[in-house]
Amino acid sequence: MSEQSKDVCDPNFTAEPSNSEVYGSPGVPGGPSPPASQAATLAGPESPPLGPTDASLALPPSQAPSEEGDPKALQQAAEEGRAHQAPSAAQPSPTPPAPAQLVQKAHELMWYVLVKDQKRMIIWFPDMVKDVIGSYKKWCRSILRRTSLILARVFGLHLRLTSLHTMEFSLVKALEPEELDRVALSNRMPMTGLLLMILSLIYVKGRGARESAVWNVLRILGLRPWKKHSTFGDVRKLITEEFVQQNYLKYQRVPHVEPPEYEFFWGSRASREITKMQIMEFLARVFKKDPQAWPSRYREALEEARALREADPTAHCPRSSVSED
Amino acid sequence: MGAPRPPSPRPEGGAEAAFLPSPRRVWAALGRLVPSYMQGSTRRVGIMTDVHRRFLQLLMTHGVLEEWDVKRLQKHCYKVHDCNATVEKLEDFINNINSVLESLYIEIKKGVTEDDGRPIYALVNLATTSVSKMASDFAENELDLFRKALELIIDSETGFASSTNILNLVDQLKGKKMRKKEAEQVLQKFVQHKWLVEKEGEFTLHCRAILEMEQYIRETHPDAVKVCNLCHGLLIQGQSCETCGIKMHLPCVAKYFQSNSEPRCPHCNDYWPHEIPEVFDPEKEREAGISKSNKKPLRSRQH
Repeated sequence: MSEQSKDVCDPNFTAEPSNSEVYGSPGVPGGPSPPASQAATLAGPESPPLGPTDASLALPPSQAPSEEGDPKALQQAAEEGRAHQAPSAAQPSPTPPAPAQLVQKAHELMWYVLVKDQKRMIIWFPDMVKDVIGSYKKWCRSILRRTSLILARVFGLHLRLTSLHTMEFSLVKALEPEELDRVALSNRMPMTGLLLMILSLIYVKGRGARESAVWNVLRILGLRPWKKHSTFGDVRKLITEEFVQQNYLKYQRVPHVEPPEYEFFWGSRASREITKMQIMEFLARVFKKDPQAWPSRYREALEEARALREADPTAHCPRSSVSED
Repeated sequence: MGAPRPPSPRPEGGAEAAFLPSPRRVWAALGRLVPSYMQGSTRRVGIMTDVHRRFLQLLMTHGVLEEWDVKRLQKHCYKVHDCNATVEKLEDFINNINSVLESLYIEIKKGVTEDDGRPIYALVNLATTSVSKMASDFAENELDLFRKALELIIDSETGFASSTNILNLVDQLKGKKMRKKEAEQVLQKFVQHKWLVEKEGEFTLHCRAILEMEQYIRETHPDAVKVCNLCHGLLIQGQSCETCGIKMHLPCVAKYFQSNSEPRCPHCNDYWPHEIPEVFDPEKEREAGISKSNKKPLRSRQH
């Protein structure tokens, strides 16, 4: 078995444009992180230069100002938070915990992040501190570093700070190509199919899709707002609440319409994770037509694909090289 | 949470290396990451390549997968990263990965569905001592409802708890007061998230819940928990001997009594009074699956 030499530190590794990798691995392969590092004397992480960013794409609002700025900022935020908490007996600076305990915390955090991602929930830093790190808050930087290292080495995932402003992290796949995976098991992932149907409807319309229009489409699949479905359950709740909560859809009231009507838009997460070309291909599959049957939309999709490619020339278009599974 | 403890013996699957302390474990305890998973300071540790990483990513994404899907997933990962390599046998492939995961206290666990014996796989955390996977999804009173339902299921004879009985416990829940109507919806939420399965107004554990929570269940209900006489795994649904009371999983019964015209209880040798189920056959299953997928709703628009 050949070991891939691509390591975590390689900024070209990721196909996605992103903010700077704050919690990258300090990894010199073969060098164990010394236990002493947990004593919070870390001089900023030795992370690689900023990943490619592209202003023309929808990115989370705040760009990380500098490498060193982010971990310090988070550390400060964590410590400020601690200061505001109920003052327990005045504590002198606590002794550093045993290395084994920090390692264990890193493992707990790793699992926590994986599960949050599996459920498509937001990974929020304050939650991480509250639910996992707890009293080890002072060493959260070293714990986070270790967790990122493990995630990268074992799962091939980057734990990335996507927005310093809202303190959100996300797990980004560090392996390319990415889109293939969605295809590989797509006939076993009904949620994605349902979501794609709605997203493509919105996309084709070129503006928001009224709830009534969405239900007309879903009726073809045998889904009704009042009926419980064996796989999806309460479909209405799924699309108006869960998908919205996960930022895949936006559900808004249509202004100036009585009686009140609602419409759907693409959510920020959908814009980040799903490309227009994927929508076109989905439509092509569903309607058994060529994607160019929707000429203006297809043009848009091509534009977006080109912009993505220009943003990161090392990412290759998976569709052209590997056939569908 | 407490200090790390070694993984307890697992009844099925998993690397045998778990039972012996290894230099890796010592490294981890000293607070140093293993010098590298790749360079294997012990020969027992497998080597992680992108094939394995992608496999892990996707397995985690899907939560729980049936064996056929897992094989397909494995092939997909090979295809993406290493087209020329021969696809390793699934069991070895998984054991390889598990040897790396061991020091993280997680593993790819293999289980079998209790009703029809399908093999399933999930990535589980061995270090949890609570229903931690659920904790972030549900409110305190909802979690407590689950625990109450779990108790009823474990204590029941059939492995099923009726909706009525569960709902009657609504007043005893911790946290915010919950009405019965609300509780009904929460139960449906559990079904949707694949923690419970509903059949004709009765609830039992989803195979995924059994796989992921087996350890937790055994620890929190050490006396009430039932165990299969053959595989010694946790038993929720199964058949029991009416004479001596031992229980066995349906798929375990199927395998044990396969082509045996006079099934007898392995413990007391009395005549086994129940119908012997069929052994799960993945080939037959696949054919059924293919014909089912042809009936997909979008069929009219597809080939």
